[in-house]
Amino acid sequence: MNALLSRLFQFGAIYTCFVGLLWLAKYGMGFSDYLIPSPTEFLHAIREDGPNYVIYSLNTLGVAVYGHIIAILLASLIAVIGSLKSTVGAVTRVAAYNLQAYPIVAVSPIIFIFLGDGLASRLLIASLICYFPLLLSLLGIFSQPVEDVEHFFVQTGSINHRLRLTIRLFENLDKLLTVLTGSATLAMVGTIVAEFLAATAGIGHAIRIALYQDNLARILLALLLIGICSSFYLAVIEILGRTFSRALQKG
Amino acid sequence: MANLVLLTGCSPGGKKTEGPRTRAEPVVLRLKWLVNVSAAGEIWALKTGIFENQGLKVEIKEGGLEHNAIKDLELGRVQFGVASADQVIRAVEKGAQIVVLAQIFQKNPLKWIYDGSRFHIQLPEDLKGLTVGITYGGNDEAIFRALMAKYGLSKENVRFYAVRQDYTPFWNGDAQLWPVYSNVEGIVLAKKMKEHGRMPMFFDADAFGIHLVANSLITSRRIYDEQPELAQRFTQAVLKGWKQALDAKNERAAADAVHEFDGSVSVELIREQLAATRELVVSGALPIGTIDKAAWRDSEDIMFRQGLIARHVDIAAILK
Repeated sequence: MNALLSRLFQFGAIYTCFVGLLWLAKYGMGFSDYLIPSPTEFLHAIREDGPNYVIYSLNTLGVAVYGHIIAILLASLIAVIGSLKSTVGAVTRVAAYNLQAYPIVAVSPIIFIFLGDGLASRLLIASLICYFPLLLSLLGIFSQPVEDVEHFFVQTGSINHRLRLTIRLFENLDKLLTVLTGSATLAMVGTIVAEFLAATAGIGHAIRIALYQDNLARILLALLLIGICSSFYLAVIEILGRTFSRALQKG
Repeated sequence: MANLVLLTGCSPGGKKTEGPRTRAEPVVLRLKWLVNVSAAGEIWALKTGIFENQGLKVEIKEGGLEHNAIKDLELGRVQFGVASADQVIRAVEKGAQIVVLAQIFQKNPLKWIYDGSRFHIQLPEDLKGLTVGITYGGNDEAIFRALMAKYGLSKENVRFYAVRQDYTPFWNGDAQLWPVYSNVEGIVLAKKMKEHGRMPMFFDADAFGIHLVANSLITSRRIYDEQPELAQRFTQAVLKGWKQALDAKNERAAADAVHEFDGSVSVELIREQLAATRELVVSGALPIGTIDKAAWRDSEDIMFRQGLIARHVDIAAILK
């Protein structure tokens, strides 16, 4: 609970500063409500669009969570294969790095042709955007020997690839949890990008409409809700991670 | 993002048209969209030295979803812009100080393309049972919803399909009507349809009394009040550019000028686009640039009825 409150407080402080600076610029430089919405207009957007935007944001959060899970599985699979010292491992590593080199905006039309503009495309794009940091970390973890521990198993002749990966994963659990939390933010971002590009649901889609209609008040509202959802999700991952870590230590 | 800057006062053929004034005043124009045939007049004025002859050194900047002429005008980054009525009305309702100097398109180029070999739409009622591409939040949505309201079409009668950047859903038949700028991508798509044995036709909401004004030349009220002579010179230059660019005897040279900035489209295709643009810009005996006040009032009415603006806007005050 403290983690959630702490995350929300951090976001709230940054968001308040951001909006405060916007309004400072607006009134200091005499900008119209068209350029930067007034506090009244922002409150109006919250009142009028708030309920719908909350639903859109929760929809996005749901997709982001699923996308994140897929990304974790995908990154784990590729990292395990990529950690092999065989040709398969080398090819997998090269393919994984190359895939990331292409901007998702350029790849998305191909994704939409085959998967349409529904849930599947959103999930895939969210996963592709957040899987790479996970992959890099996992590859790093899997390729970094934990000499102190591995030495024993090497000497006793009981070491194998699976045991080696398990040791390295366990010894780097804190690092992994940090990466998982960080990639959760990217999962939200990835989902929003997918929705912005083509979907007809979620907060990214709402942002696109607001942009077409030059409605910055709605965009500020969307940013507020995205921040709250992200904070909530990050806090949940942190709590789950700590609980898991404690359970492992006790076990 | 392409910025087109006047470097010389030469025509595309290399001949200097008239002697330029000694000191050119720097001016930036932000277009509504990317550089294409819809900016033929401005490009022609730039290329043939019309701007320079008016004492203007003009830089043309492309527009887009994130590059809005009205915002740039308020920020003082540009002196002139091109925007559609929905953008102007929405901005003015929220306090932006904008004036409309000229209406470049007398008819809205936004139409819906469809395959006439499968069905034919003579009346809005013929839309029943069809799936129509709509850009949610875009002006095509406003136009189509106004049409539906006017002709009593409900959500049960017409299905919407969310439009994105590529035409695959239209090509695959997921949507039978697809919104296009009839003078730009409409020409390209129609050509492809013909190549595949289809019969391209356009559904035009404007023909059924839905008037939403498209590209218009705008400036800030500050510039209009404090530098009326600049506003006048610029407007005259743009309108002269349009008049000459659409003149049949300049067609090839105008197409070449546009091609210079939009190399992705062939000169032949640009010539076809220019012909289509002529029908949108030239309206009977009216001079190019005439502001259709009734159409602006209609535009405002459409937006108010659809809740796109919360209160009425004094249209007469922004049209010059």
